[in-house]
Amino acid sequence: MADVEAKTSADIEKQFKEYSVAEFFKKNRQMLGYSGEVRSLTTIVHEYVTNSLDACEDARILPEITVEVESLSASPRETDVGLGDGTTLSFQIDDEIARAATLAIKVDGIEVARGADYVIKYEKKGKNSFRVISFKKTPPRQGARIVAHWAAGHLRVSVEDNGTGIPKTKVGQALGQLLSGTKFLNREQKRGQQGIGASYATLFAQITTGKPIHVKTSIGDYKIMEADLTIDVKKNIPVLSNQKEYSGKFQGLRVEAEFSEVSYDRSEYGVYEYLRRTAIANPHAQLTLIEPNKEVTVFPRASSTIPSKAKPVQPHPLGLTTSDLIDMAHITQARKVSSFLTGELAKFSNDKLNELKALLPHLDLDKHPSKLEWKDAEEIVNSFKKIKFYNPDLDTLVPIGAEQLEKSLKNLLQPEHLKVIERKPRVFRGGIPFLVEAAVAYGGKAGSDGVKAEVMRFANRTPLLFDAGNDAITEGVKTIDWGRYSLKNYETMPVSLFVNFVSVYVPYTGAGKLAISPEEEIVAEIRNALMEAARDVSLYLSGLQKAEDAEKRKQIFFKYIGEVAESLEDVTGEDQKTLEEKLRKIAEIRTQILTQEEESGLEDSELDEETEEEIQEGS
Amino acid sequence: MVKKTEKTREEKILEITKKIEVLGKDLIAEINRQENPHLDIPIRGSNNVFFDEQNKKIQLGDKKSKRYLFNVAHARRFMQTMLVASYVKKDLLANNLTATLRDLYYAKKHTIKGTKEDTIDEQKESDLAIVDFEVALETFRERLHLRAEPKGRMAGDMVVLDRVRDKVDKIDLSKMGSGGWAVPSIVEQIEFQDVGIEYVLVAEKNAIFDRLNEDEYWAKNKCLLMTTAGQAARGARRLLQRISDEIKVPIYCLTDADPYGWYIYSTMKYGSMALAHESDRLGCPQMKFLGMSISDIEHYDLKAVTIKAKDVDIKRAEEMKNYDWFKYPAWQKEIDKFLDKKIKAEIQSLSSKNLQYISSTYLPEKIAGKDFLP
Repeated sequence: MADVEAKTSADIEKQFKEYSVAEFFKKNRQMLGYSGEVRSLTTIVHEYVTNSLDACEDARILPEITVEVESLSASPRETDVGLGDGTTLSFQIDDEIARAATLAIKVDGIEVARGADYVIKYEKKGKNSFRVISFKKTPPRQGARIVAHWAAGHLRVSVEDNGTGIPKTKVGQALGQLLSGTKFLNREQKRGQQGIGASYATLFAQITTGKPIHVKTSIGDYKIMEADLTIDVKKNIPVLSNQKEYSGKFQGLRVEAEFSEVSYDRSEYGVYEYLRRTAIANPHAQLTLIEPNKEVTVFPRASSTIPSKAKPVQPHPLGLTTSDLIDMAHITQARKVSSFLTGELAKFSNDKLNELKALLPHLDLDKHPSKLEWKDAEEIVNSFKKIKFYNPDLDTLVPIGAEQLEKSLKNLLQPEHLKVIERKPRVFRGGIPFLVEAAVAYGGKAGSDGVKAEVMRFANRTPLLFDAGNDAITEGVKTIDWGRYSLKNYETMPVSLFVNFVSVYVPYTGAGKLAISPEEEIVAEIRNALMEAARDVSLYLSGLQKAEDAEKRKQIFFKYIGEVAESLEDVTGEDQKTLEEKLRKIAEIRTQILTQEEESGLEDSELDEETEEEIQEGS
Repeated sequence: MVKKTEKTREEKILEITKKIEVLGKDLIAEINRQENPHLDIPIRGSNNVFFDEQNKKIQLGDKKSKRYLFNVAHARRFMQTMLVASYVKKDLLANNLTATLRDLYYAKKHTIKGTKEDTIDEQKESDLAIVDFEVALETFRERLHLRAEPKGRMAGDMVVLDRVRDKVDKIDLSKMGSGGWAVPSIVEQIEFQDVGIEYVLVAEKNAIFDRLNEDEYWAKNKCLLMTTAGQAARGARRLLQRISDEIKVPIYCLTDADPYGWYIYSTMKYGSMALAHESDRLGCPQMKFLGMSISDIEHYDLKAVTIKAKDVDIKRAEEMKNYDWFKYPAWQKEIDKFLDKKIKAEIQSLSSKNLQYISSTYLPEKIAGKDFLP
């Protein structure tokens, strides 16, 4: 089988232009997640971890995944960035520091957090632009020393899992061949990139450092294989070297790769946050992170229930992105684009093919699928939206499950209060089934930095860290009137909002798969789920509020007794001191009654105050 | 044509003092029963205000709210209402003195012992407490010896008797010079004599009063000329009502052609939502609207001198369109025209014709043609 595949690939390769693969990567680098140093690193880890989770799930194994990021530079350096003056927010830094593999900024010796406290960005001065450290809120005080602790050079990423491992004949194909993968042949509700991502990571290592990746794997038969792997970019074939086999006890896959143009930090876009959220969405997994400073963090397993397997289905035309189609076209066995479409897409009959032909008369659908160019694929995907397809089968949704999710959120956030909601399946775009899981956690370790709310977005259990702006979950969160849930200032409260969008077809806003398109039905469902959870949290919070109120109330009751008694003496001639004593007694009684009523859940009907129409009069 | 007030000043003081004492004794009784002391206060606000079409008055309904001392939302206002009670009884009525709302504010504002809180922060708070106290006692503030700032002037062929404590002054309103007679804030004691007027013309603006006074309009047209200087003060409103009831002459109102001017008119005529409990005393249902209307702008060809309506004007007009007392078809038509054209005009825009156009042409034409709005 492997031989057949390789042969087919070789056939295809002849039709590729020589530089096509590298070219393709270059052109689509951004869409594949490799833009910006921090994000590139997160993407790499994401590809490996996703593959590991899938591999374990397929074999019904409880995943144990260890991610290590090492700094390979010489000893870290210290550079003075500047002195604070109490007003300046931006401090220029060398490009070298901005692109450093690891970076810690200390103000007066205290480390500040990238993302929360500062960001690194470009600033323009005349014709030149340069990088600056830009503090978000508080400028460093007068005389404060700002120092960058940084290390240039490469980062080594190692990811090890306890999954099925890869048979030695398939290692090259799995990790060293672009536009290749097994997942397309039986499409399931899977996380993220469709099996091609790990090979892109190999290519990225090769491009940025010129070094091969190192692989160690065993399928659990006491035979361990280790090898270095590169991609022959011209031919798009994997090249294994230094291959060795030996006996030993190991099952799973370990990949080590060295990268440049990547940077490690603990911001909300970084590897730490990615793994934390992955752990929340995968309560059955145990994730360990070893950071460049050798700090070890374990996100412990919360549940030993492995999620049920999704039923494999062919992809529905409406759920495809351009890059999905390109990827599929390059691995299909079909000879023509037309038979590729009818053969490998769900609900795509000959009638639909004719409709597509009518919409795209200029496109040659008889050509070989591998000759499908990005532009063609884009046109086809856009035309799908104009064709009326039968709906996908309503069956294949695999949520985390309320019970599992509750376990993992309790495990990782240890919140004071938590509410998890799992909604019933709905449909969008007239028939694509989806489901929303949401949770609101308050207190404990919820929120980021303990003071700021965080919105955790997921699509099929994959954390979405980037492009929060144009996103269905962001939109849902933004349009809720949080004041109604005692969460008016939720942004500055220790609150974590969790949303997982579950569907075989996630309508991503772009090929980068970073944000969910804010379609009406989806946003409405996300809102409903969050509001349902918020109602419960609101009850808890108003309970806290009540205790505080009882104390305030007592103060208010006693505060005015003197004034009232004095006035009453003026009006009636009764003795002020005697009145004050009597009023104090009543205040005590009222306070007790009201507190008891509240504890038994009765509302204080006296609190309804009449509304006062205030029209300005010439008084 | 003199109407005697039924009760003497002393009797009135005694009566209201008694009412305050009863209110105080009720509270003491509650305290002795260890109950939460409360005041019954008629609700003022749109849900307890209605338009009495029969009598053409904005009236207060009979919904009441209970204001408790030991209720977080009520406590402060309860305390302030008691401060008003004490000041009215002990400082004003007992000494036969009157005071302004601002006097009361300063007299009762101080820091509450043992706290950093003031009894009253802004005068608006004590003003509201005063209205609470008025409605709780079912009286009005003049009876409590509280004065509003006087505002409004008049001139015309009429003599009035006014008194300051025991001194009686006879005032000839036809001999008040260029400034006219200033209408006092309390007018209960005024008596009318030697009446030679056939109607009253109320202008919203001082400038119009001065213009017409200079033109000797009131002498030539046998009318009483009055300015309210903006939103009419309580004294001016009460006096207009008394003239309408006691002298029985028609009263015409002249305002700018904009929603604010029309609202001033409606307040004088029907009363207002905020002081709905006093419409009986202050309303003047016989009043008619002479101008200016948007139709006037068209009829007198004033388009060139109109002003573009502001957003607040339009919002006000949209609200007024829904008020029951603006439901007359003629008014609806005017408001619609305003909302459609989005223009307004000042009375002074008539001066674009010539300075005396208002007294020589506009007013005589409108009155002769009975070109009024209800």
